[in-house]
Amino acid sequence: MAEEKKTTEKVNTKPKNDILGDGDDGDLILENERVSIDLTMENAKFTRSGGDLISLEIVNDKGETENFERVVVLRSFPVTNPDEFLSVREPDSKKQGRGKEIGMIRRITDFDEDTRALLSEELDRRYFTPQIKRIFSVKDKFGYLYWEAETTAGHVTFVMNNPFSNIRVLEDGRILINDIDGNVFEIHDPTKLDALSLKKIEIYL
Amino acid sequence: MRLMFDLPETERAVLDSAMQENEKLMYCIPFNILEDKFVSGFIAITNKKIYKILDDKLLCEYTIAGATGFKTEVMYGSCGFYADFGEGTTLICQFVSGRHLPRYAVIVKACEILAEDQTKDEAITNSEQERFCPKCGRPFVRGTNICPYCLDHMEVYKKIFAMTKGLRLMMCFPFIVAVFNVIFQFVVPQIQKIALNNYILDEAKYGQSDMMTQFILIVVAIVSLDLFHRALAVLQSRLSAVTGNRFTLMMRTLLYEKIQSLSLSSVQRKSTGDLMGRINSDVNVSQDFIVNQLPNLFIQLFSFLTGLVVMLVISPIMALFIFVPIPFVVFLISKFWKSVQMRNRRLWVLGQRTNHLLQDILNGIRVVKCFGREENEIKRFKDASIKHANQNEKNAKVFDTIFPLLGFAIKLGSYLILWYGNMKLFNGEMLVGELHQINSYANIIYAPLMYITFIPRNISNFLTSLSKIFEILEENQEVQDIDLPLDIRIEGEVDIKNVTFGYESYNPVLENVSFHVNPGEMIGIVGHSGSGKTTLINLLMRLYDVNEGEIVIDSVNIKDISQNALRTQIGVVLQETFLFSGTIRDNIRYAMPHATDEQVIAAARIANAHDFILNLPEGYNTMVGEKGYSLSGGERQRIAIARAVIHNPRILILDEATAALDTETEKLIQDSLNKLTENRTVFAIAHRLSTLRNADKLLVLDKGRVAEFGTHAELLENHGIYYKLVMAQRKMAQSVIEQQGIS
Repeated sequence: MAEEKKTTEKVNTKPKNDILGDGDDGDLILENERVSIDLTMENAKFTRSGGDLISLEIVNDKGETENFERVVVLRSFPVTNPDEFLSVREPDSKKQGRGKEIGMIRRITDFDEDTRALLSEELDRRYFTPQIKRIFSVKDKFGYLYWEAETTAGHVTFVMNNPFSNIRVLEDGRILINDIDGNVFEIHDPTKLDALSLKKIEIYL
Repeated sequence: MRLMFDLPETERAVLDSAMQENEKLMYCIPFNILEDKFVSGFIAITNKKIYKILDDKLLCEYTIAGATGFKTEVMYGSCGFYADFGEGTTLICQFVSGRHLPRYAVIVKACEILAEDQTKDEAITNSEQERFCPKCGRPFVRGTNICPYCLDHMEVYKKIFAMTKGLRLMMCFPFIVAVFNVIFQFVVPQIQKIALNNYILDEAKYGQSDMMTQFILIVVAIVSLDLFHRALAVLQSRLSAVTGNRFTLMMRTLLYEKIQSLSLSSVQRKSTGDLMGRINSDVNVSQDFIVNQLPNLFIQLFSFLTGLVVMLVISPIMALFIFVPIPFVVFLISKFWKSVQMRNRRLWVLGQRTNHLLQDILNGIRVVKCFGREENEIKRFKDASIKHANQNEKNAKVFDTIFPLLGFAIKLGSYLILWYGNMKLFNGEMLVGELHQINSYANIIYAPLMYITFIPRNISNFLTSLSKIFEILEENQEVQDIDLPLDIRIEGEVDIKNVTFGYESYNPVLENVSFHVNPGEMIGIVGHSGSGKTTLINLLMRLYDVNEGEIVIDSVNIKDISQNALRTQIGVVLQETFLFSGTIRDNIRYAMPHATDEQVIAAARIANAHDFILNLPEGYNTMVGEKGYSLSGGERQRIAIARAVIHNPRILILDEATAALDTETEKLIQDSLNKLTENRTVFAIAHRLSTLRNADKLLVLDKGRVAEFGTHAELLENHGIYYKLVMAQRKMAQSVIEQQGIS
């Protein structure tokens, strides 16, 4: 039974990727799938694009030069390891669906300062996580929490439901807070938070 | 949904000075993030340009004509609005996803239209409901119009009061009893005082004949009062048991009915645990509050006030003593309350975590065993249990210290009363009976003090539970029957006209899908995962309503057909076959509970299930489901097929019905399905193309659009996606398994 299932899946996944991966609507090329490569200073050149985002020029496995007008950089481990294993991808598009991975940056420190600044700019924008500096109030109304806090991104008010799953204390002591609108806030070091602020959230930790 | 926000004056002035004469403002929506700060800026879109305004500055302006690649990109916690104005993709603005993503999705469409033709200056509108409270701007509870922040306590009370219709008289009874209870509490010490002062302590009266009868009368009075009091208490308990039960029953039924009538999407949005919690524990909390806490609260308050008044009348000075411990009590409570609450909550959370862990591990026990991780899991559970136990121990120690201390503090007043009263007694200013009476009253007054400290938390728990219940009860039903739905007899002609649909309207899964199916045709639906096959099926069953276009069955829009008539004439076999706990017979008869045994057997024969069922020890009466006989995937699937065909549906939907089966069994089922599909309209989704070799027509979906539609021959000739799929699978089939070729 189980074995049979496996073969079916194999049959299924193969063409799926190909349809997704192909460049032209309706025209399906079964071979020629993009292989992700390791990106280094030698084979990849990141530059600021005309639209103030990131362009990339790479030399692929076959020694050919490829140009990407815009690439997207994603963190593989945004919470635990933000500066390593950065996936550089083509942007998603309506026509071609999900963007493919062009390559992976093993460590951001593999690149020079200018490139790091460029990548960090994009990463900071994409992983916008304001730090909470002070908590003014946390009101519980009918099971929903209404917060008012001072963050590195300014004064904020936000709403949260189900505090026990939306306030996460990580192993290293950091606290991640997800609100109802999809915002993510972080308390980098709760021990450095003033006593009054800490008291307001203590009960949920 | 609002697409035209009012600009504040400064921003308005900026826009006015930037806009040309022949420009028309069409949309104006906020953006919230700029670089590393939260801001409140606006994107104003005219028929020619996009302006990005923050406070008194015009940050950017873009010319729409000729621009391409308008899109939103979901990032981590926020979204970006992008477009290409000729110099490569650029980020126009960044915004908070939960607040504005649906809005920007509409704006993307609007910009695409404008980019092609600036003369189309009719703004598109969107009828989707605003998800934010108009009063405070905070989000509504999903799918409802409830804003917890603005929700008034009184409103909740009113709602709950409206729901107690028919129970009110019964619910009043505890209050009547309460009043009597209090009176009793105060009368008995009064009589006891008379007995003490006039008879027991008055030695002069000892031996007099009428004294004995009078004394007996007093005793009888006390005893009968006590009896009456207890009788009332019994009656009250019995009545509150009845009201409590009825209340719970009513609430549960209401909730359950509502959950059943909600659309699939809103039920699936919530977790099973959450829904179960609402039906069980939240209803219990509300019931407990209404039936037990509320009358109790009333009793305590009433006896406290009465006691106070009585004491003031008897002895104002001693009444004042009552207030002596109150500052201590308030101090102690305020000091320890938070800690008590926190400890309780922490214990609860740890308990929940342990439970959750246990459930998780037991559900995945096969994986645990396969990977030999038993030791590790034992340790994990042990750690969680130890944490829980430690917290419990700590709590118990703290509570067992605090509460006696509190009790002592509260009693301080009565010691003072005792001391002062005794002084008076020794001076001959007071009799023992009076002292006894006053002491009894003091105790009566102190009892509620302890209770009153718990009231705020009880009320807040009650309100939270209630509002969770109302959240469900007031959720808008997404799929609803029209006023006079039609009960048509379906022939099986299906016409899909320009259907566009997304589970979130801004993210369409199906776009402009159109095709026509004649009665009795078999349509095979092909496409990679995520192409919208199952969504199309969901729409056909009307588990969701289409956003645009229409689905017409036998020239009637399915929105006009009653849901009941529609679903009883459609049979469905899904890939994951869920069998309810019960017998095989019950499961086959699920959609038609009154089916005869003959029909059950006939359905089982069609599904090729008859033979294996008879080989089970109890035949059709074999128990299946979680606690029953474990069937193999293929057997379950065949029962599911029998279940789908028992009511002889005109339209049959097979959603990967045979994907979980081995080829041999699939062949068996295919044969039976062939019998079944005669004269019936069939929609079959399959990854294995061989499953679809009998299909009259094939529909190839790609990224939510119809890529190809036609017969096998036509599609093969086309050399399109279908051709490539067939070739790929044929290759695979030749190399992997010796299988009958695809016709």
